[in-house]
Amino acid sequence: MPEYKRSNMLADKPSGYCPGCLHSLATRLISDVITELGQEDNSLNVISVGCSALNILYWSGDFLSVAHGRAPAAATGIKRTNPERLVFAYQGDGDCAAIGLAEIMSAANRGENFTVIFANNQTYGMTGGQMAPTTLIGQKTTTTVYGRDPATTGYPMKMCELISQLEAPRFVARYALNSPKGVREARAGIKKAFEMQLAGEGFTFIELLTNCPTNWKMSPLDTLEYMNTNTIPYFKPGVYKDVTAKEAE
Amino acid sequence: MSEKRFMKGNEAIAEAAVRGGCRFFAGYPITPQNEIPEYLSWRLPEVGGSYVQGESEIASVNMVYGAAAMGTRAMTSSSGPGISLKAEGISYLAAAGLPALIVNISRGGPGLGSIQPAQSDYLQATKALGHGGFHAMVFAPNSAQEAVDIVYDAWEYAERDRNPVLVLMDGCLGNIMEEVELPPMKELSDADLPDWSLTRRNGRDWQGNITPIYTEAILEGLNAMAGEMYKVWEEDDVKVEEFMVDDAEYVIVAYGIASRVSKEAVLTLRAEGYKVGLIRPITVFPFPKKSIRNLDYDRVKAIIDVEMTIPAQMREDIELQVLDRCPVYEYGRSGGVLLDDEGVLEAVRDIVTGGTF
Amino acid sequence: MKTSFVFSGSGGQGIMSAGITLAQAAIEMGKHATYLPEYGPEQRGGSAKCTVVISDEPIVSPLPKNCDNLIVMNEQAYAKFYEDVKAGGLLLANSCRVKNADERDDVKKILAPVDDIALELGNPKTANIVLIGILIGATGIVDKETFRQSLEEKFKDKKPGVLEMNLQALEKGIALGAE
Repeated sequence: MPEYKRSNMLADKPSGYCPGCLHSLATRLISDVITELGQEDNSLNVISVGCSALNILYWSGDFLSVAHGRAPAAATGIKRTNPERLVFAYQGDGDCAAIGLAEIMSAANRGENFTVIFANNQTYGMTGGQMAPTTLIGQKTTTTVYGRDPATTGYPMKMCELISQLEAPRFVARYALNSPKGVREARAGIKKAFEMQLAGEGFTFIELLTNCPTNWKMSPLDTLEYMNTNTIPYFKPGVYKDVTAKEAE
Repeated sequence: MSEKRFMKGNEAIAEAAVRGGCRFFAGYPITPQNEIPEYLSWRLPEVGGSYVQGESEIASVNMVYGAAAMGTRAMTSSSGPGISLKAEGISYLAAAGLPALIVNISRGGPGLGSIQPAQSDYLQATKALGHGGFHAMVFAPNSAQEAVDIVYDAWEYAERDRNPVLVLMDGCLGNIMEEVELPPMKELSDADLPDWSLTRRNGRDWQGNITPIYTEAILEGLNAMAGEMYKVWEEDDVKVEEFMVDDAEYVIVAYGIASRVSKEAVLTLRAEGYKVGLIRPITVFPFPKKSIRNLDYDRVKAIIDVEMTIPAQMREDIELQVLDRCPVYEYGRSGGVLLDDEGVLEAVRDIVTGGTF
Repeated sequence: MKTSFVFSGSGGQGIMSAGITLAQAAIEMGKHATYLPEYGPEQRGGSAKCTVVISDEPIVSPLPKNCDNLIVMNEQAYAKFYEDVKAGGLLLANSCRVKNADERDDVKKILAPVDDIALELGNPKTANIVLIGILIGATGIVDKETFRQSLEEKFKDKKPGVLEMNLQALEKGIALGAE
């Protein structure tokens, strides 16, 4: 029976993530895939701003911490000058879908050969639960106290759908981390994206639907159910673009 | 081998950067600095470097941040409005201790201002290139040749200090064509990479990490270290040209393009018998305080701050050294209207002849 | 000896390339030169101006307001800059477009129909070279052979015939200027 132990790329200390937060699981998946691919010494984590920045204390592999929203730009500078490194950015909602929208779309459009992993939990966790570009219609946050109203705040931003419209990206997929099946698929997706990057394929984008028990003001178990009934119907999991699948046909 | 060429200032900067070891550039087009990215877009690939046209100035400076973290000599360039956008990234470079070269070919301001030359960004360059109270060394060359020499060695300072370096010029110096002597290519190898760079681990057993965020006690310590570093700059790194100052009764203080027009005025007025001199800061940060502080104010009757911007922005730095020991006057043109020899000459002549300026 | 030149006209009249080529030729001769373009937002058809300073000594300021030689290709350029020629200086104008150049009587004036001359030579685009030929013929600021070599360098990759046409324009201009 396999031993369940701390993942290699995570420091031997508390993560800093709230109990029940799926960020912990997401970082663990990334860590395990890096180990499986033998990339522990070659990986470089571009750490963005938001709860994702807790990786600074928690991630034991090489990392570069960067400004809010600019991870795809910094990763561009890294990868262009050191193409052999396995480079990934781990971004949250605000980082990827609001303040860094120009950076993510432009890096994707240039087909930069790195991987962006986007943790979508529909809120701004670190600053205390304000509306995110991905907040669902009707979802309550500290800046949408009566629930998100599309008349004044628009609609939740679908990043996989946007990015998969571009010509250059090679693999774009969304997974929900609220079920064992989703977790297994997410792990396989991350692995595929990293393998494609190592093969020099080009831009890969993985969106992980996560939760925020603290700011959703729910128990962790309730958040998983909320994701089933609210998040997943709007942000549909699946592979949005996979050029290797087309080539295999 | 060095070689002479008749080159545009912007192109000379770009070539000097390549010869100084620059292997990464990211930038966004803005007049009057476009020849820098245009030149590097084909030149960097020739030497195994890379060029990226960023989606914005913000993205571009953050691309430089990423490349610099890998130990690559990296640069970006822009003009006033674009430097404002880069302010975030420059602050992060300083916070993370990353060396990089930023070039500002300045134009009329504020706002979109004008695309014509102006020295409108002195305060931004020397006082607050971004949030958080940090400084970068700011070099203000006054010719294409001096720009070449400074850019060529910019990374030596940046890597020594683990801090960005700014080269502050204006649209005149960016667009002027002059003869320049280009230095030989610096041949750098992986062995020259800074030991903190995040290049492939290659068996090193420590975690490579670079961050612009710290716990409060560490940040306070880093702030204090930066403060000490700025003091060392003031002792060791000030560059200044003093021209005919020894017996001068009137001293012009001017940097960059304004210093050339001012020097012309000094020569003309000296020929007329007036004792006029010029102090030219080559580093505007660290500012050449001593050159102004230690003037003999029993002899010096007035200081004249000549800048291609209105109001003069260097004036407070000058006044803090003059300490009311003589009057400080200013003369300038602004908004993209250029200084010219006749205008500066008349303004200075008016002062030295006791006019009502 | 320091000599300044202001070239002005509208974009497309070859003003900037005339200034650069002159400065380059001066440097080829071992002199010092600066070329400073004035730039505007328009990519085509705006007003064009450049200032060239040539000297035996390193050049201190590249920003004279008043010039020794003013070369204007059209009426607007003349109106804007005629006051800036130093007394005793040279005003060289394209008389096809500058109809009236009476404002100054303290400068040497050469009014030449360079557009017409260029047209006669077969290419209106060579008007700037005719003009600079006149300047060289009249002032001797650069050596004719050196300028010829600068032109050969400039046009070496162009279609056959372009260089020859420009060299003809230069010869014609120099002959006129020397008169």
